[in-house]
Amino acid sequence: MSEPIVALDGVTLAYRDRLALRNVHLVIAPGERIALIGPNGAGKSTLLSVLTGLLRPASGDVRLSGDPVADLDRLAVARRVAVVPGVTGLPFATRVEEVIALGRLPHEDPLRGPRPSDRAAVAAAIDRVGVGHLLGRDARELSLGERQLVLIAMAVAQATPVLILDEPTVHLDLRHQVGAMELLVDLNERDGTTIVAVLHDLALASHFFPRLVLLDRGRIIADGPPSDVLTPDRIRDVFGVDPGFVRLPA
Amino acid sequence: MTGSRVAIGRSRGIGDRPVLLVGLGLAALVVALIAGVGLGSVAVEPGDTVAILAHRLLGLDLARTWSDAAETIVMELRLPRVLTAMTVGCALAVAGATYQGLLRNPLADPYVLGTASGAALGAAIAVIIPVRFVVLEFGLLHGLAFVGALVSIYTVYRLSRVTGLAPLTSLLLTGYAVGSLLAAGLAMAMYLSGAALRQIFIYLLGSFDAATWSRLAGALPIVVLGCAAIMLRARSLNGLLLGEQAAVHLGIDVRRERAILLGLASLVTAAAVAISGLIGFVGLVVPHVVRLVVGPSARAVLPISAIGGAALLAYADLVARLLGEIPVGVVTAVLGAPFFLLILRRARTGYEL
Amino acid sequence: MSSRSRLVPSQIPFGLLARGMTVLAAAVLAIAACTAGSTPPASPASQVPTASIVSPTSAPPASPTAAPAFPTTVTDDEGTAVELEAEPQRIVSLTPAVTEILFALGAGPRVVATTDFDDYPPEAVELPDVASFTAVDIEQIVGLEADLVIAGGNFFNPPESIVRLRSLGVPVIVVYAPTLDAVLTDIRVIGTAVGLGDEAAEMADAMQAGFDDVAQASAALPSPRTFYELDATSAIYTAADGSFIEQMIELAGGDPITTGSPTDFAIPLERLIEADPELILLGDAAYGVTAEQVAERAGWDVMTAVRTGEIRPVNDLIVTRPGPRLVEGLRELALAIHPDLVLPSAEPIPAMP
Repeated sequence: MSEPIVALDGVTLAYRDRLALRNVHLVIAPGERIALIGPNGAGKSTLLSVLTGLLRPASGDVRLSGDPVADLDRLAVARRVAVVPGVTGLPFATRVEEVIALGRLPHEDPLRGPRPSDRAAVAAAIDRVGVGHLLGRDARELSLGERQLVLIAMAVAQATPVLILDEPTVHLDLRHQVGAMELLVDLNERDGTTIVAVLHDLALASHFFPRLVLLDRGRIIADGPPSDVLTPDRIRDVFGVDPGFVRLPA
Repeated sequence: MTGSRVAIGRSRGIGDRPVLLVGLGLAALVVALIAGVGLGSVAVEPGDTVAILAHRLLGLDLARTWSDAAETIVMELRLPRVLTAMTVGCALAVAGATYQGLLRNPLADPYVLGTASGAALGAAIAVIIPVRFVVLEFGLLHGLAFVGALVSIYTVYRLSRVTGLAPLTSLLLTGYAVGSLLAAGLAMAMYLSGAALRQIFIYLLGSFDAATWSRLAGALPIVVLGCAAIMLRARSLNGLLLGEQAAVHLGIDVRRERAILLGLASLVTAAAVAISGLIGFVGLVVPHVVRLVVGPSARAVLPISAIGGAALLAYADLVARLLGEIPVGVVTAVLGAPFFLLILRRARTGYEL
Repeated sequence: MSSRSRLVPSQIPFGLLARGMTVLAAAVLAIAACTAGSTPPASPASQVPTASIVSPTSAPPASPTAAPAFPTTVTDDEGTAVELEAEPQRIVSLTPAVTEILFALGAGPRVVATTDFDDYPPEAVELPDVASFTAVDIEQIVGLEADLVIAGGNFFNPPESIVRLRSLGVPVIVVYAPTLDAVLTDIRVIGTAVGLGDEAAEMADAMQAGFDDVAQASAALPSPRTFYELDATSAIYTAADGSFIEQMIELAGGDPITTGSPTDFAIPLERLIEADPELILLGDAAYGVTAEQVAERAGWDVMTAVRTGEIRPVNDLIVTRPGPRLVEGLRELALAIHPDLVLPSAEPIPAMP
């Protein structure tokens, strides 16, 4: 049994005056592809922050490949875990390829800058994500969806064993949503990248992810294949909607 | 899909040829040096200028065809002045680029966090208190301007940590508040200064009139070491391009790097304003022009800005001198204001902090 | 798979640049060390001019047994001991009053430069300008090989420039005359410095006699409350307590109204109205201010001087300039205060053409 690449054990985190995470236990093996689902405020983003070491839990253990994340500096974490950031503004005119190249920062030589291997990784990322047609343009002038793809490419360029995405399809049209999902599958199955994605779209989640983790009010309610997790009762109880609204694959 | 050669977008022209760019920049500096040393209100034969430089700098033993006055003018007045202008220009440009990257704000300059007001108030206090103090040609004015600049940025930094706002917003707003307070203090000091008002005013406008070798020797190490230290941290500045969250996930210790870069940029700014007064627009405009050519990566922007700032200020000082000793701050403003308007036009709306 | 694909931001050969900067900085510091250590070129004061300079046109010194006047040391008004190795032949004046004194003593032919706001005597206006209100052109002064510079204290000329000139080996005497006695002292000091000590003593004595004449003549007469207007375009400016103008008015037979503070030259209108001047002297008459204008000012009509029409213009230049025409100024002032005053005939101040 190999070391889990991500392991949260008994993690509890207080945020302001409530408990954002309660006794969370989550083990992810290398090469897995999992989706975090749950209603707003369930604690999905908080869980990701704990995973990357941004937030320190009040109690519990967080490990990356067996190493406590609290002992790792930012650079070490960045070499193991890449996070696709949300779309933000850029203060200066920045080309698409320059944004993508930022993904290599954790690997670059601090003095000399990008190496040929870094350049190759960027080229590969552009290829994989399929943003070659955007190169040379000012990233500030792209549509939200295009920017989101560029940021995904940046995280891909970071070439880490673990890739984390927090609602990466928010601004994408259906075609690109599916394209992004297929990309994640490709990265996972061909490169063995462990993928952890927070998704709101239950159909996408259950179609493309073999393992779903359902959170509600800081607790993991269910953890397993989509058919086990997304039962009609669960949908009604946790999401508060008629299960008929959710179209699940057969 | 993988392995195919991907065509990358338009090239940036000279921006993609870094060695050529650096070479051009250095050439511009050399021309500025020669022009600065050769031209002035007193006409010195070019042949004499070269001979003096060769004799004093390279130690060549030449027949003395020039007058003592010419030698004094070239070696004691013009040469330190040109080199001081370059030093200050380099400091301001690098500091400006750093502040713009740190604050993620294209309108930032080295003075935006109260440094200018602090230095000016320090200088004004030095002028009005009846104490004469000179160490190695550094008078009370230089010392208090330097201290004032650093104290104000430190105050801004500490106060900004206590507000409930996001770090960048907090820095900018606190900087504005503290700067306004210090400016009020400055106004009061100017009101109380009586006959010394003109001295304070000359400081505010900035000039290289008083450049000496000793002052240069004092400020140069700070500027060179500070700028070099900043350039070593180019990676951190690049990481901040997408914001604090993204920077953290790219491996940047944002809190630490922000403090260090802020400190270094303020240090070189303080050294610059201490010896030259408040010269504006260089720190704001040079990084922008450089980015137009080489892109936003700090690895390119910082060194090229250093060269560009040095050259710009050397030329500006030459123009100021030849136009009858008008304050160099006026020349940079005349050059910089149109650029500033251009930057505003190109600024994007919908930009978030 | 081409190595020419440019995917990442331009990469400056940073290491090379950092090393280059350090080497350059070290070189500059080395130069600074060498030049700071070396003595400045031989002081221009000790140069023997190749062509003889026309000697002063004043009456030849009477005493044949006079000890050689140079080398000598003169103490200026700031207490600085200024060493003069030989009689200065290339003198620079940085205040209009000093220019007048130099020309009156007969040193005019040896003056090589003045300020751009000198207006008397006419020959002085023709001379090259090396100073303005805000700046002193040090390069030109050095270029002219000046062997003596006489500057104005109390921030009349920027103190920084005085320090700079001295550091370059140029002797600078600073004069500042807040009282009539001080003016005479300055004349003596300047006279000694230029080798015309006897002429200066004569001139000072004659001026003192002239002052005494006026004081005596007006002593018996009643002293009207006199307001001397320096400027009234924004605030009202007049004599400060213990100032030069106050002295002049008292000596001329008036009772001067002052601002109430030794450092502030502005007087609030209320205080002026309360002081109720019996006579208003327009020192700003040269700028177009007339008695009619004064009478029309709001609130001024309550003053005795306005009601009785006792508003007279005076030539501010000769009244306030601490130079050789002061006796003339005092006489004019005395006559402005008491138009019927009878003064003994004016003795010509020696050495004035």
